[in-house]
Amino acid sequence: MSELSVQFQGVSKKYPHFSLDEIDLELPAGSIMGLIGANGAGKSTTIRILMGLVHQDAGSVRVLGHPMPADQAAAKLDIGFVSEDMRLYGQATLAWHMEFLRPIYPRWDQPYAEALVRRFDLTPQQKIKGLSHGQRVKAALLLALARRPRLLVLDEPTTGLDPVARKEVLDELMAVLADEERTILFSSHNTLDVEQISDQITFIDRGRIIDSDDKEAFLDRWRRLRLVLPPDGAVPRFPGIVQVDGSGRLPVLTTNNFEPAMVSACNELGATVQAVDTMTLEEIFVANVHSRRERLSA
Amino acid sequence: MNYAMVRRLILKDWYFMRGPILLSLAGGLVSLAIVAFAGKVGFFLGLLLLITTMVAIGATLVMGTLVGERENQTLAFVMSLPVSHLEYTSAKILVNLLIFIPFWVILVAGSLALVVISPVIHGLFAYTVIMSVEILAGICLMIAVALVTESKGWTISAMVVGNLAINIVGYLVAHIPGISNGMFGTVIQWRPAASFTLATEFALIALLLGGAYFIQSRKKDFL
Repeated sequence: MSELSVQFQGVSKKYPHFSLDEIDLELPAGSIMGLIGANGAGKSTTIRILMGLVHQDAGSVRVLGHPMPADQAAAKLDIGFVSEDMRLYGQATLAWHMEFLRPIYPRWDQPYAEALVRRFDLTPQQKIKGLSHGQRVKAALLLALARRPRLLVLDEPTTGLDPVARKEVLDELMAVLADEERTILFSSHNTLDVEQISDQITFIDRGRIIDSDDKEAFLDRWRRLRLVLPPDGAVPRFPGIVQVDGSGRLPVLTTNNFEPAMVSACNELGATVQAVDTMTLEEIFVANVHSRRERLSA
Repeated sequence: MNYAMVRRLILKDWYFMRGPILLSLAGGLVSLAIVAFAGKVGFFLGLLLLITTMVAIGATLVMGTLVGERENQTLAFVMSLPVSHLEYTSAKILVNLLIFIPFWVILVAGSLALVVISPVIHGLFAYTVIMSVEILAGICLMIAVALVTESKGWTISAMVVGNLAINIVGYLVAHIPGISNGMFGTVIQWRPAASFTLATEFALIALLLGGAYFIQSRKKDFL
């Protein structure tokens, strides 16, 4: 069994208008997990608990072997953190920030920091307040990566970026990540961003984790079956059908547990399978959320 | 306690606040000069300017080092560093006191020196000491409120309360028999009433800062 970088067990946190309920989450060392959820789903709260910035009401959290929040200072020595709502000091330069962090982190890698300055096309002597939003995100990433953290936590780092800056940041991030193996938790409501980077996916909705698996497993097991039913034919029902769309004789079944045998089973029931469509991560996420919400409201 | 980290956070705040601090120090010294050399009207104008300068530097410090972290969204950056909540709290209390107190000591020492070298106002010695500590208590109130609430609105409210308290305490202290007697005389006096008032002020300061520390230690959400 591989070592766990992050382990949440039954973690709950209650606010007047929002609750995080019974979160169980495991992030093995060396993996890259995408945490996907709509705005307000609980991604940032989960990450803040992970960082020790918010204390859970119940449950236990261990990060890099440290109990949180009790041992947060030691844990944060090995964590690089970038979040959408994190700003650097506007009146200081990037060079000042690098000098400020260098003595704090024993594994701070100055040649690597300088290489990232060139790769991200940043000017160390420029004040942070003079940088574009995209450059600020790159600067924050640089400061997180040059610590050589064992765990990188990115909370919606691409939010608010224009498409060009977003692509630049993601391209650079992927190039950097290709350099070596890291453990990363990447949260976003943008499934395309997460799909590019992650090898594990966790969906969170309304304060609960609703599904978690390898990205490839998600893409393999989720399918849409487009059927044509015979007159008066009933929609076939199988375990794992989470959603039925379409109308009349042209239903579209969404399954989270696709097996090729489903096609022959449909045929045996008199339905014609017109197409078996793969689904994008975004479609999987939306179908997952909808099916859960329908189940809860039923 | 990671003292190296606390020290680093203090130096960081000093770096960002050095401009306003040095400007305020210059303003304070100008106020003292006015008090010393500008005659009777200048004495009262300079005194007012001196108190305003002390309150202003305290407010600038608290706003810049405490409320500013939240307002400018740099708190997430600071709290992502290997620092615990209590180390952060300690650093913030210390940086405010370490920057304000030397500045305050210089201006208070200057004021007391003026009292000592001007025989006609020798009687104001105890009153000056008590009111100087009252200003310090007002700043500590702002530090405590800013730490606990991280809110600009609440901190400004604390500043208003602190300023009102200077006037109210100033009036009340001037009417304490053990202090008011001889206040406008030409002899420096220090009576038990002055010691008691001073001890009360220091107890209040300890209560404010200790209370803020206690509340911070029980806080569950830091961001």
